[in-house]
Amino acid sequence: MAACVVKIGVYVCHCGLNIAGTVDVAKVAEYAETLSNVVLAKHYTYMCSDPGQRMIQEDIKKHKLNRIVIATCSPRMHEETFRKAAEEAGLNPYLVEIVNLREHVSWPHGGEPEKATEKAKALVRMGVARARLLELLKKVKVAVEKKVLVVGGGIAGIQASLDMANAGLSVYLVEKQPSIGGRMAQLDKTFPTLDCSACILTPKMVDVGRHPNITLLTNSEVADVKGFVGNYEVTVLKKARYVDESKCVGCELCVKVCPVKVPDKFNENFSQTRAVSIQFPQAVPKVASIDPAYCLRLKLGKKEVCGKCLQVCEAKAIDFEQKPEEIKLKVGGILIAVGSGVFDASKMAEYGYGRFPDVISNIEFERISDASGPTGGKIVSPRTGKHPKSIAFIQCVGSRDKRFHEYCCRVGCMISLKQAILARGKLGEDVNIYVCYNDLRSFGKDCEEFYRRARDLDINFVAGIPSDIRRLADGTLYFDVYERGTNRLLEVHADIVVLANGLVPNIDLDSIGTMFHAGRSADGFLLEAHPKLRPLESSTAGVFLAGTCQGPKDIPDTVAQASGAAAKVVDLLSAGEIELEPLKAVVDEEFCSGCDVCRSLCPFSAMEIVPKGEGKTAKVIEAMCQGCGLCAAACPSGAVKIQQFTDRQLLAQVQVSCKEPEGGS
Amino acid sequence: MSLVDLMSMAKPNLKSRAKVFSKLKGRDLVNCFQCIKCTSGCTALKLLELKPHEVEKLANLGFVDELVASDILWTCVTCLKCIQRCPQKASPYHVIMALRNLAVEREVKIPEAFMKAVSQVLETGMAEAYQKIAKGTETFDRESLKLPRIGSPREGFQALFLKALEEK
Amino acid sequence: MKTAVFWGCRILTSQYAYEMSVREVMPKLGVELADLPEALCCGDPVKSVNDFAATYLSARVMALAHALDAGQLLVPCNRCHFTISEAKRSIEGDKKVSEKVSGMLAEEKLEYNPNMRLWHVIDFLHGFVGLEKVKKAVKPWKGLRLASHVGCQIIRYSDLGRVDNAENPTKLDELIGAVGAETVDYAEKLDCCGAHLLLSHVDTAFSLAGAKLRSLRELGVDGLVVSCPDCGLMYDFKQKDAAATVGVKLEIPVVYYTQLLGLALGIDQEKLGLHLNQSPVDRLLMKISV
Ligand SMILES: Cc1cc2nc3c(=O)[nH]c(=O)nc-3n(C[C@H](O)[C@H](O)[C@H](O)COP(=O)(O)OP(=O)(O)OC[C@H]3O[C@@H](n4cnc5c(N)ncnc54)[C@H](O)[C@@H]3O)c2cc1C
Ligand code: SF4
Ligand code: SF4
Repeated sequence: MAACVVKIGVYVCHCGLNIAGTVDVAKVAEYAETLSNVVLAKHYTYMCSDPGQRMIQEDIKKHKLNRIVIATCSPRMHEETFRKAAEEAGLNPYLVEIVNLREHVSWPHGGEPEKATEKAKALVRMGVARARLLELLKKVKVAVEKKVLVVGGGIAGIQASLDMANAGLSVYLVEKQPSIGGRMAQLDKTFPTLDCSACILTPKMVDVGRHPNITLLTNSEVADVKGFVGNYEVTVLKKARYVDESKCVGCELCVKVCPVKVPDKFNENFSQTRAVSIQFPQAVPKVASIDPAYCLRLKLGKKEVCGKCLQVCEAKAIDFEQKPEEIKLKVGGILIAVGSGVFDASKMAEYGYGRFPDVISNIEFERISDASGPTGGKIVSPRTGKHPKSIAFIQCVGSRDKRFHEYCCRVGCMISLKQAILARGKLGEDVNIYVCYNDLRSFGKDCEEFYRRARDLDINFVAGIPSDIRRLADGTLYFDVYERGTNRLLEVHADIVVLANGLVPNIDLDSIGTMFHAGRSADGFLLEAHPKLRPLESSTAGVFLAGTCQGPKDIPDTVAQASGAAAKVVDLLSAGEIELEPLKAVVDEEFCSGCDVCRSLCPFSAMEIVPKGEGKTAKVIEAMCQGCGLCAAACPSGAVKIQQFTDRQLLAQVQVSCKEPEGGS
Repeated sequence: MSLVDLMSMAKPNLKSRAKVFSKLKGRDLVNCFQCIKCTSGCTALKLLELKPHEVEKLANLGFVDELVASDILWTCVTCLKCIQRCPQKASPYHVIMALRNLAVEREVKIPEAFMKAVSQVLETGMAEAYQKIAKGTETFDRESLKLPRIGSPREGFQALFLKALEEK
Repeated sequence: MKTAVFWGCRILTSQYAYEMSVREVMPKLGVELADLPEALCCGDPVKSVNDFAATYLSARVMALAHALDAGQLLVPCNRCHFTISEAKRSIEGDKKVSEKVSGMLAEEKLEYNPNMRLWHVIDFLHGFVGLEKVKKAVKPWKGLRLASHVGCQIIRYSDLGRVDNAENPTKLDELIGAVGAETVDYAEKLDCCGAHLLLSHVDTAFSLAGAKLRSLRELGVDGLVVSCPDCGLMYDFKQKDAAATVGVKLEIPVVYYTQLLGLALGIDQEKLGLHLNQSPVDRLLMKISV
């Protein structure tokens, strides 16, 4: 577009009554028409609607508008919508300016319509001032790697990897543990259908292990991430497992001869495994690994020590010389699926978890209920080894509790219903089963029906939460609980108390959040880009989220989110190139002295200093720049500016913020 | 003992509620979600039928006048289990204390011992009177036990304490 | 640093044994205590009547300690310790309260010092004097089985910052361990003695005290150790009333921790006020002397 007269169209949106209920939109539009360069100003119920957009497009053509100011809701909602509309009408999309009359005016100033209208006018005046100076910009296109990094091999990571691999992307699946499977591998049956967790999970794990497009990196963690959407460079640290994965056949001969007993974390320490072990029977890869913290030989670092496994392994897979390995990967997209932790109930000391062996957590219950678990699926008291006569479940442990986690864990109620039903099935009708709850939440598909099924099985639902749990002199557990429905204080004796511990943020999220520039929400989980409209991705382009790392959820929701995020990654990478927003830093080399301030500050490593003639100059690596503006603010000679946010544009806006410039501008 | 005729408590009094909230500096300590944990553990429940969750809810809904007039306020043993364990960091204990203060302001009849303690402090500086301890045939007091004499409150203390009691 | 001591009403007017034993024990562990100059109330019973007046009384206690040039204040009574802690919080957290209180203190030329450190006997011995120092100073016994009762208000509520963990307090047990006795865990350990109800529901107060003592009797302990004048009053002085109310024989020796510690430090029984205890402490003393 050649230098020509600036012709601005101003559009004031009612947003139904959201804006028009407070702001006098007609007055604002009328006012806008008085501003210089404004050719026309209109107001309309819903600018974002089809007729609204069409009106703008027709005006652009008819009145040869070359700047558009839309006074509407937050740019986070519809900036993209209006830019597209402008583009379709032949206008460069970056010549559109959004003024926020909803979040900035009508919502916060609901009670003061007159002042709100004045503020709206001022904001429109500022928008117009900036619009006059907007520049034409072009999107940047970059080529992308058609490869994906998936971090975490629980059901979320497994599902997403399979979907993306099936769609033709190359997938690197990085799992911290020796086997994939995650939390689901530890579960006995699953609500609300009671199908066996291993039966539905194992085939998927095997598929991952065999898929030609999936490279499985277990016993590994991401150590470093560089780059930007479409072109990430990732360093993975693969810890030594002291067993050659390519040779081990999973026969477990070594496990049988290892003399060192080690608490079995997979079984929540209810049983012991050996210093060399396979994490659980269905592990993928089914390969042994040696725990250097326990292995006699590795602990002492002496060749003569033990070595029983080495002697017995027919496949010659044991390798005490194995070193940790750094693996460099190039990927176009990243999917984080590191799952969650489970609340440590010893923090809620009134229930005695950690002090009273018969107070157990729900994940511990899964292990003692699982046929392949430490008790062979027999539900017994950890203290006596005997079948309990009475079991009580206590809800909301660590969740809905301001002292710990204020959010609802979303699975605790259903887990206890499931476990109560399993207990009834295994222990028969004579056992007393109590579920003490505050609100019983069974909102998922088929979940309310599941609750009804539990009531049919004579499970005592007690509307009330006990204050504490006591251990009586005979070692059994006891608590009082006031029941809301009957106004009675129940005295409950229990041989086992199961605490419905909620899901809590994975402890690795601190480092993961920083490494991947993924934000956290107030509850500590990873933050999605938009709570309603962009739940599958972080706010960093190219980094996607799935499963319980984003927030507590059950398996169906986890799998749905994983498949959704996988589809997003496929969508991002399948074309082989992507368009990036041009809202980036540019260096005016004439003023740049190459002082290095910008490069040292840039959090995205997007600046480099290059030689120029005799001296040096800063240069922007366009694809890495996120347009955060740190460099522009810091540059001592004003040589860096951020496109679409230049000093000129912003100052023009500020100048008219308090009063109208005399005689227009 | 229990709350006065619960069924007839039909009309909340929002002014009284606001008064309680202001004593509690906001609604945080009344922000109960009725999990009943406090009542399950309340020391005064079994024998005296104090239900802290009910106090919370009544205060929250504005049924304050009835509460203030009720004997139930004076059954709390101040064991502090409710506030310690409340998952919402509400505090029936503090609500009860605020209601007791309100009862005094409204000159509702309150257990005598409390007013007696106050007048005792006013007179002697302490809420209790010196006792002689009997054991077998002997009796003991501070003097016979050679414990130090305790001085009386300074002049001016009474006026200041009375002034403090005026604060609402 | 100078340590002032605020006894509170109950100790000064009837729980002489607690006072005597604290006065005896502390110098042996190298601590000199400075008494406050006049009769004072922490404000606890006033709290139910007027919260501000209670806060003022607590503030006055701290200000008088400050006037003695003391940097820390020992408060052997649980209720006083709690009331003063809450007053501290309300003064330091609310400017209006703090201004009002300071104004009133100023009329007596007194001053509130926010740095005044509060101690109870339990954390003072365990933390300030130090468990190890206590262990070194005593001649421990063997074979004693005791139960401890820490009381409510020095452990709850945690947000206020209390003397020990609210749900699993161990300091008193560790101190009992230091004199060579074993402590037994029991289900009612954290339950309230009921003393506050003496002001309004006397029978219920005795039932509460009786319930705990009954369980301890079933457990067959050699004695119960307390560290609060209210608890001492209920379990020791009023043990007979409690027994009558719950209708069983109780007969459990109840002593203050400082009495027990005093014995282990070799202090004379009478100096520790053991002749004032109303529960059958002789049984315990016999076991100790064996
Ligand atoms: C006791 C209990 C019972 C349950 N029962 C049911 C049920 O019956 N039905 C149901 O629908 N849901 C149930 N759930 C919920 C279910 O377990 C979760 O919804 C599901 O497992 C979440 O899967 P995920 O992949 O997001 O996380 P996870 O299963 O936790 O997997 C995360 C994976 O990431 C790995 N990882 C962690 N950190 C890193 C890192 N830094 N680098 C690399 N890898 C890492 C972990 O090792 C793990 O393999 C239950 C949960 C619990 C606690
Ligand atoms: S414990 Fe707290 S949230 Fe629960 S009922 Fe009592 S006051 Fe309400
Ligand atoms: S402080 Fe009062 S209301 Fe709270 S639990 Fe104790 S007796 Fe009950």
